[in-house]
Amino acid sequence: MAAPEPAILPNDPLEPIPLIEGKHTDRTINDSLFDHVWRGPGKGWWMLFGCALSALGLLVIAITYTLYKGIGSWGNNIPVGWAFGIINFVWWIGIGHAGTLISAILLLFQQKWRTSINRFAEAMTLFAVICALLFPLLHTGRPWFAAYWLMPYPSVHRIWPQFKSPLTWDVFAVSTYFTISLLFWFLGLVPDLAALRDSSKSPTKRLIYGIFAMGWRGSGRHWAEYKWAYLLLAGLSTPLVLSVHTIVSFDFAVSVLPGWHTTIFPPYFVAGAVFSGFAMVLTWMLPAREFLGLKHVVTPKHLENMAKVMLVTGMMVTYGYVMEHFIAWYSGSEYEYSQFFRVRQHGPLAPIYWLMVTCNCVVPQLFWSKRCRTNLWVLWVASILINVGMWCERFTIVVISLHRDFLPSSWKNYSPTWVDITLFIGTIGLFSTLFLLFLKFVPAVAVTEVKELRHELAHDPTAEPAGETH
Amino acid sequence: MSAGHEDSGFVPRRFVIAEFATPEGLLAGTTKLREAGHKQLDTHTPMPIHGLEKALGLGRPMIPTIVLGGAIAGALIAYSMIYFCNVIDFPINVGNRPLHGPPANIPITFELAILLAGTSSFFGFFTLARLPRPYHPVFESEAFTRASIDGYFLSVELPAGGNADQVLADVRGAGAVGAELVLESER
Repeated sequence: MAAPEPAILPNDPLEPIPLIEGKHTDRTINDSLFDHVWRGPGKGWWMLFGCALSALGLLVIAITYTLYKGIGSWGNNIPVGWAFGIINFVWWIGIGHAGTLISAILLLFQQKWRTSINRFAEAMTLFAVICALLFPLLHTGRPWFAAYWLMPYPSVHRIWPQFKSPLTWDVFAVSTYFTISLLFWFLGLVPDLAALRDSSKSPTKRLIYGIFAMGWRGSGRHWAEYKWAYLLLAGLSTPLVLSVHTIVSFDFAVSVLPGWHTTIFPPYFVAGAVFSGFAMVLTWMLPAREFLGLKHVVTPKHLENMAKVMLVTGMMVTYGYVMEHFIAWYSGSEYEYSQFFRVRQHGPLAPIYWLMVTCNCVVPQLFWSKRCRTNLWVLWVASILINVGMWCERFTIVVISLHRDFLPSSWKNYSPTWVDITLFIGTIGLFSTLFLLFLKFVPAVAVTEVKELRHELAHDPTAEPAGETH
Repeated sequence: MSAGHEDSGFVPRRFVIAEFATPEGLLAGTTKLREAGHKQLDTHTPMPIHGLEKALGLGRPMIPTIVLGGAIAGALIAYSMIYFCNVIDFPINVGNRPLHGPPANIPITFELAILLAGTSSFFGFFTLARLPRPYHPVFESEAFTRASIDGYFLSVELPAGGNADQVLADVRGAGAVGAELVLESER
């Protein structure tokens, strides 16, 4: 078979960089993308896995201590009744949103570049939502009773959840989000699992992947329904992801606290979520493409596009900050003004506010420059800074607003305890552990979709005619 | 007649499996065989191929209808649940506010509509596809492992008493680069 022409988007002067680098056939795509699954874990993987497992151990300690002592072991207390628990919840949920955005919204917009990163980002969504869910569950104090309070079920108590409360909406939103993300991820994975089954060398692996592949045989009758099932799940995820963070922002926005009581929260939370999510994708993707041999499908063009998305969403977040401050001044409310212009900028926790402004508003401005967008180190450091910045944003919203409300007599400073910090580090460990396992057992790139993309690009009617081979 | 199997009472299903070199070849071959009057055709490809639905003569997909049903059911269940809890089963008068507050019901109604639509898309697909199904006679073919990697296959299930040689000749005539007959194994 003759070599196929390189799969590039032809005749587009604005898009000269290929989405798939080099010459490939279905077989070489298959082999190169499965390579990291079949290869035994290297030293680097074991080192990272060791770190992740140690952090996971911290999580176990922190959870055990929290359950044994009660949530009094956390630093939050009236007036700062919400602190690390909700900060980390919102932070993790936000990180998860990039996965849905990449896999669903970019699919609907037919952005071809999403294909190489969607599997990766969807896995991130799942693991981030698991980490997020831990916090509200633990914050109930007795998680094993939580289902009784959160879920409407008929019982002799005849007591129902408060359906007019955003916290109850949150329960429905986040559990729906987790379920749909899981189904979407698995549905996309099935053809790849079948390919793994069929290319595995050992009978054990063949059996295990075979079980998960559910007997997929690439049937044309199945594909016809599959395409619709996948597309509709994407279509459903798109409003879902917007609604989830909107509802999360309602937790704050429906209250009357200065700093929370604002109508800009839903769009600005969604933009912030996408911003932090893309940053997290980059934080993991840059090392992963280096070490897993994914450079031919995650090309500089993908990285540049992600940097552009971060620039745009960073500007949206900045606009949100500016409007918050403007309305605080324009409203004429002394409490609002004081919160935004005195407490946040000059109060005891002002450094966190300024760190937020630096990381979220200043750092993404780097991405105006093509040189920064294509420099891997700049991208990586910036993506970490953005994650830090978005965590600081949630801290600013939650703690800084709560610790200085209307009455000076109810002002109180806040500091986290070791349990808070351990729990937070522990969830990073949980996330990393799950992610490293994912990278070892499942292809990090949606192989089937890359093959489809290759054919699509090769068949582009604008492409120069060439002997088509497969 | 499937001679030799009367003893156990098991009559294996027989499939002709043909491989094509390219997706285009598969498309053309499928159309040709269907027009030649072969029933029980199916294709096996590593990724969805545009136009195969038409080549196989499939009707409209059923998933969209199922998902719409799921969405409507979800919305109705959610809204009536909230209404039942707040208005009928345990009405609480808070400052004489209405027991039934539609705006506050929107988020949960929306989320449950999505939840049921999404789950019906997923489970609807697996039900329609009759998966999971670990064994299928087409897996008997050695070459078939490539159907999920880089092979484009066509399978024809032979009717009872059908002539395998005829079908094999037909698929070769339709452009297949390889063809074989496989039998369902008795297990």
